[in-house]
Amino acid sequence: MTATIAQSQVFRVSAARWVRKPSSAVLMGVGLALPALCFLALFLMIPAVRLIAAGFLTQDSRGALGGPVTLSHFTHFFATALYSHVLVVTLRISLWTAALAAVLGYPVAMVMTRSHPAITRIVTFITIAPLIVSVVVRSYGWQLILGNGPAGLLNYVLLSTGVIQTPLRLLYSETAVVIGSLHVFLPMMVLPLASALGRIEPHLEEAARTLGMPAWRVFHRITLPLSLPGLAVGFTLVFSLTAGSFVTPAMLGGTNAQMLGNLIDQQITAVYDWPFGATIATVLVAIVVSVNLFSMRVLDGKRRASA
Amino acid sequence: MSARLTGGMAWLFYPLTAATMLFVLAPLAVIVAMSVSANAFAAFPPRGFTLAWYGRVLADPDFLSSLSFSAMLAAAATAGALLFGLPAAFALTRCAVPGREALRVILLSPLIFPVLVVGVALLRLFSDWNSNSAPFNLLIGHILVTTPYVVRTVTASLLLADLSLEEAARTLGAGWFRVFRRVTLPQIAPGVAAGTLFAFMVSFDNYPISMWLADAQYVPMPMLIYRQVASIFTPAVPATSTLMILFAFVVVVLMERLAGLRRAMAM
Repeated sequence: MTATIAQSQVFRVSAARWVRKPSSAVLMGVGLALPALCFLALFLMIPAVRLIAAGFLTQDSRGALGGPVTLSHFTHFFATALYSHVLVVTLRISLWTAALAAVLGYPVAMVMTRSHPAITRIVTFITIAPLIVSVVVRSYGWQLILGNGPAGLLNYVLLSTGVIQTPLRLLYSETAVVIGSLHVFLPMMVLPLASALGRIEPHLEEAARTLGMPAWRVFHRITLPLSLPGLAVGFTLVFSLTAGSFVTPAMLGGTNAQMLGNLIDQQITAVYDWPFGATIATVLVAIVVSVNLFSMRVLDGKRRASA
Repeated sequence: MSARLTGGMAWLFYPLTAATMLFVLAPLAVIVAMSVSANAFAAFPPRGFTLAWYGRVLADPDFLSSLSFSAMLAAAATAGALLFGLPAAFALTRCAVPGREALRVILLSPLIFPVLVVGVALLRLFSDWNSNSAPFNLLIGHILVTTPYVVRTVTASLLLADLSLEEAARTLGAGWFRVFRRVTLPQIAPGVAAGTLFAFMVSFDNYPISMWLADAQYVPMPMLIYRQVASIFTPAVPATSTLMILFAFVVVVLMERLAGLRRAMAM
């Protein structure tokens, strides 16, 4: 009898931390979340659905959208080499950026979680601080470094040290966009990785080392496998953010490395073709959503398997 | 705290990290160096030393109006984000909402939804509504992109706050508002403040929403720099950019002091 009362007491306190009656706790939760939900529905979900719908409509000569409903914009997108090429370039740049971010980000995340607190602080600061500088400014910095001709920083250094005789053409290429995107989105790889690495039970690594495992095998057999969820989150974030970027390809890729974002801008701002712009936006959203769903699935499966 | 890096692992990871840190700092350092070069064109090597470009930027009416507009927009957007984000974070962590996980995913969804597409969708909505006020349209767009950051940071701070203190206060008869003001708020304040600063900068730096919703009269700072970079007749771009970098670093130092950067980012 007393046990039941004690139990219900515990239940009451933990289920309704703020409000005494469980039913009013639900009511309060819904009430608190409702303003944000309504705002999101009105200004994100409904406009997004309407934009996607526009990709299936026809635009008349006065620019108004209406019937007939058609798939022709999508077939036009995939069948025209010019456009499907932009899709391929977008996927290629995003994949390279995410892969290189993993390679560059892993050592940084290791140092962030496994070194002297002062070093951890400095590395965290340098990694995160540029995130708060506008992408426009950072891409401008890369323009100065990668500039074609002898006045770009890299060309200047390579020419004056005699490594090369003629200036390299680095700017306005896919490589330049990958470098710029890597710079912009690297923290999105490092931070999830660092939190995965920080969650690894220190005793596991210590035990393995005490039992005589060499450091690199501890890393290979324990640290790396346990950090894979963080790597997956980072990869997904960097890939989706790069795929949706506009400023970096516009400033560093020019016409040689256009991405889907630039094509959307061109179709809507210059050509004023809303259905086709909406079609490209839908393709972009589909890529981002499917990559995120896939990664959520893989991570959930992993969690269930380990539980 | 995990074991420190030692031996071969340290020899491998420390130099690689140092190289990556140089990669991260390089474009910013280059801009700062060019901003004091007497050369009218951004060409290497920089020649001479002058602060004249800064004088020119600070006297430029376009720069000043963009700066004040961006600051006001970011402040208003952050206020809006707090208005929507704070209660939502409480709902996620302190109330019994049905479908909590789904709610969390929905509230954070603008973080992965391509920002550029959000901008296009809003442009379409506002043109259908005949909503021609650029400041209003920009404000809505900026609230939309900053709210999830507030939700994320406040949620993380609330999860770290000591629940037993709140329960003790409740047991002793304090009403929910008093518990919030006297027990919860003091614990989450540093995290919330740092997260708020970050949200402010997310709006201040935003380009892919603003590019759709700005007009000729209201030009946010990143759009001004983008235009100036595209035109060759604006030699002061490095100075303008350096001012943006300096501002960002001041904010980052504040965030670090308040709550630590990773807590402010909730990542």
